[in-house]
Amino acid sequence: MSTAIDATTTPAEVVAEGPGSGQDRARRGESLTGWAFAAPFAVLFVLFLVVPAIYGLYLSFTGETLTGSGGELLGFANYAEALTDPDMWKSLGNTLWFTVLSTVPLVLLSLAFALLVNLGLPGRWLWRLSFFLPYLLASTVVVMFWSWMYNPKLGLINGVLGEFGIAPVAWLQDPNVAMISVVVTTLWWTIGFNFLLYLAALQNIPEQQFEAAAIDGAGKWRQLFSIVIPQLAPTTALIVTLQILASLKVFDQIYMLTNGGPAGATRSIVQYIYESGFTGYRFGFSSAISYLFFAIIVLVSLAQYKLINRRNAA
Amino acid sequence: MSTYSLARNIKQGHKPGENPWSVSRVVALLVLAFLAATWLVPFAWAVLTSLKSEADAGASTISLNPPDGLGFDAYRKVLSAGDIPSWAWNSLITSIAITFLTVAVSALAGYAFSRVSFTGRRWLYAAIIGAIIIPPQMLIVPLFRQMLAFDLVDTYWGIILPQTIAPAMVLILKRFFDQIPVELEDAARVDGANRLRVFWSIVLPLSRPILAAVAIFVFIGAWNNFLWPFIVTTDADLMTLPVGLQTVKSAYGLQYAQNMASAILAALPLVVVFLFFQRHIIKGVATTGFGGQ
Amino acid sequence: MTSLDRHISRRRLLSGAAALAGGGMLFGCAPGASRSTSNLDYWHLMTGGDGIVMAGLVDAVSAANLGFHATQTVLAWGPPYYTKLAMASAGGRAPDVAIMHASRIAGYAPGGLLEPWDLDLLAEVGLKESDFPPLVWQKGMYDGKLYSIALDTHPFVLYYNTEHATKAGVTDALQTMKSPEQFTEVATKMQEVTGKHGVSYGYLGDGSQMWRLFYTFYRQLGAEMKLVPGQKAQVDEDAAVKALSFVQSLLDDKIASRSGDGGTATSEFLHGESGLFFGGVWELPVLKDAKMPVDARPIPTLFGTDAAYADSHTFVLPRQSKASPERRKHVYQLVAEILKRSVKWAGAGHIPAYQPVVRSPEYQELKPQSNYAGIPAYVNYDPDVWFGGAGSDFHKYFAENVQNVYLGSGDPAAGFEGFVKRLNVLLDRPQPV
Repeated sequence: MSTAIDATTTPAEVVAEGPGSGQDRARRGESLTGWAFAAPFAVLFVLFLVVPAIYGLYLSFTGETLTGSGGELLGFANYAEALTDPDMWKSLGNTLWFTVLSTVPLVLLSLAFALLVNLGLPGRWLWRLSFFLPYLLASTVVVMFWSWMYNPKLGLINGVLGEFGIAPVAWLQDPNVAMISVVVTTLWWTIGFNFLLYLAALQNIPEQQFEAAAIDGAGKWRQLFSIVIPQLAPTTALIVTLQILASLKVFDQIYMLTNGGPAGATRSIVQYIYESGFTGYRFGFSSAISYLFFAIIVLVSLAQYKLINRRNAA
Repeated sequence: MSTYSLARNIKQGHKPGENPWSVSRVVALLVLAFLAATWLVPFAWAVLTSLKSEADAGASTISLNPPDGLGFDAYRKVLSAGDIPSWAWNSLITSIAITFLTVAVSALAGYAFSRVSFTGRRWLYAAIIGAIIIPPQMLIVPLFRQMLAFDLVDTYWGIILPQTIAPAMVLILKRFFDQIPVELEDAARVDGANRLRVFWSIVLPLSRPILAAVAIFVFIGAWNNFLWPFIVTTDADLMTLPVGLQTVKSAYGLQYAQNMASAILAALPLVVVFLFFQRHIIKGVATTGFGGQ
Repeated sequence: MTSLDRHISRRRLLSGAAALAGGGMLFGCAPGASRSTSNLDYWHLMTGGDGIVMAGLVDAVSAANLGFHATQTVLAWGPPYYTKLAMASAGGRAPDVAIMHASRIAGYAPGGLLEPWDLDLLAEVGLKESDFPPLVWQKGMYDGKLYSIALDTHPFVLYYNTEHATKAGVTDALQTMKSPEQFTEVATKMQEVTGKHGVSYGYLGDGSQMWRLFYTFYRQLGAEMKLVPGQKAQVDEDAAVKALSFVQSLLDDKIASRSGDGGTATSEFLHGESGLFFGGVWELPVLKDAKMPVDARPIPTLFGTDAAYADSHTFVLPRQSKASPERRKHVYQLVAEILKRSVKWAGAGHIPAYQPVVRSPEYQELKPQSNYAGIPAYVNYDPDVWFGGAGSDFHKYFAENVQNVYLGSGDPAAGFEGFVKRLNVLLDRPQPV
């Protein structure tokens, strides 16, 4: 969740030069001050981000293990193995499939929810509360709720289905259904965030536009498609970007709901990183997969950056 | 910032001149009510289960009015087992520390990038912006190794420190500081105040809303974070709430009512805080969520 | 948890708060460093019926005034438990003592994640090799050192419904059957009595369950499986195909449900809808609670050689960077005390490893536990290999290749071949421990 704000900016960002002084000494003093302000962050940044990122890259070329053995350099052996590993490809496929399955409803439904709530109907705080509240829950709590909902014998869902004479479904145990169940849980949990962004964007559409449209005789539905949706385009682009990146990083709810099962049908790439590193002890191999995963994140981010920029230019 | 208009519009209700009870509005209201109810069902079902006896909770029929009645027995048992309060305390300590440190170091750095010209500023800033793209999930293995080397596995600092780096927050704060008129600071500096003083007594007070927004966002993230605390703690006494609930099992097996009582207890703190500070939290999340766009 | 534990966590809370207030003070100050020498950390993975018995044993030993008490931490069975244990050991911050499946030792001992038991210290607390069945004791040896002390042996056995057996007239046949044909005949007669199924066997989505039955028959055929890193897997394909074909022939939706999972199989047998049940001894408490007419015996030797799949819960010493000799001494005492009380553990179905308990009249009176008490003499553990053991990837790979054989849609030879291929890939990789 904390990574949801990633990639909202681009490396192209340039720092404007601050007000400089003509005198060398003053400049040196200013420089020192600047570093003093930036130092606490810079130190943490280097220690806990730059160093592990580089160390991880190094590990990916070694046979390093959890126990500290096998630290010799292996060249690209880990990468070669990862690229021919059926489990890696399956996890990657699952992750992409989850991303598609989750992003579409998380964008469309959150827009629908925001539009409905924005109609100004009574009880607004209650609607907002209902949709946003799950976002405040830890993944563990979400999973505890939903494991109970999905329980094949005692769960509410099968219980209700049973009332209508529908046979119980093994929501988390059936390989054909498990991924859908994970997506439903994710939808319930995280839709509040997108919903809130849409709601904020909706309230930003100038009132005059609606008035002008009303004078032109445009109906509500026409207004929706001619004013609201186009006005929301930048927000939609942002939400889609954030959502795809967040979905690619999925771990918590899948690990806890199905542990990647049944038979690997829901295992995500992050879980594979975790498993090969900590369950399989293979730090080097796990780091190689981490970097393959990183490559995908970079590719997706670049693609989106290009797309959004082209649209902005058009 | 655009989202500040949210609160204003919330009270606005329907637009004047419109029939408040037209058919389409009633239909929309019904749809909303249905959706909201659907969204609340998992909560309600969990609360109901947590109030039942274990025997009733394990019965395979859905009953709103179980034979043993409803009560707080499960909560009493869970709380007296002692794990949940200590995990909650670990969560609180680490989340507060993460929030405080993140806001402090990000604000200082953001200010430096916004106002102070120093050698290397450009490349440091570029590095930080570039780092936004690094998913923390890919660092678990090297970071764990590093924590072993620093002897920080199973310590609060081991949980806290890697979570204090939030490049996006530096960016948000920098953009906010950029908008504060420089003249306000110049006057104070002419009076001989140094940078730190200016930052503390002029910039920070003006930035309260954005600091609050960042703090709220970071706190929610830290309180709920799972993966990193899960990796770095093996001692059950040092686990945070999400990690402890997931990792440590009851020797007495699956007890559904107690399980749900634990989940409700774990959810409660943020839900209560949310009910009290709903507007601030929504504003904070929306503002930070937009990443300063 | 006892009130003392609560006291301790509160103390730790306060120290945590103080440390945070004191800023850098917390650096390098590991929480374990301040632990008393009398409070042992004990990790295990037993929940449900097993968990209740284990909690009772720990409380009983703690209450015995031996100068120490143990605090148990229960983690989720399978990979979550073993992952955390390995991570804790790698950091040297492991618990003082932990439970590990015997089949997992091969994945832990070589990497230095475990410390060997000291035979002299064991003798001091009254434990010696002759108190354990030879095969069970041997399983704890690695590289000439003893890494684990078994608490039990828990085999896969055959339960049967005694009333149904009488009705079907197979009471004697149940004890004398010696061939797959005889077994099928008994199962068919049982089916005729219940009108539903003859045998219950839950395996769907559970590689360990598939493996347990397969391996029993595979070993009964006199076959072995040796897995040495760097070499091809040494297996007996003919035997594997025979074993798989036999299991497949039982899962015909008449003798046994073709697609039973653990839960449905147990409840089917519980409700008298079948007469026979392949299950672990750990299922016994549930069956006894149901007050059904149940008895149990080892899985009959159908293919000539006595063999039984089993695993053992064992005590291990995870690596600690700062092990205190005093705490260690208490650990030895704790283990000895639990073993001496392990007739209670037998109540949960397991066969105690500690022979004085097995010989005691108290245990001999336990029925049906003592019916299968002879298994440790010819027990078959999983093949020793770093990726093997209870709840490991090994069982998962078996499931991935063999599930469709059990379901009736896959060819036994092809399924087993796929499994061996998967093993060879793993054996070809560098051993990470």
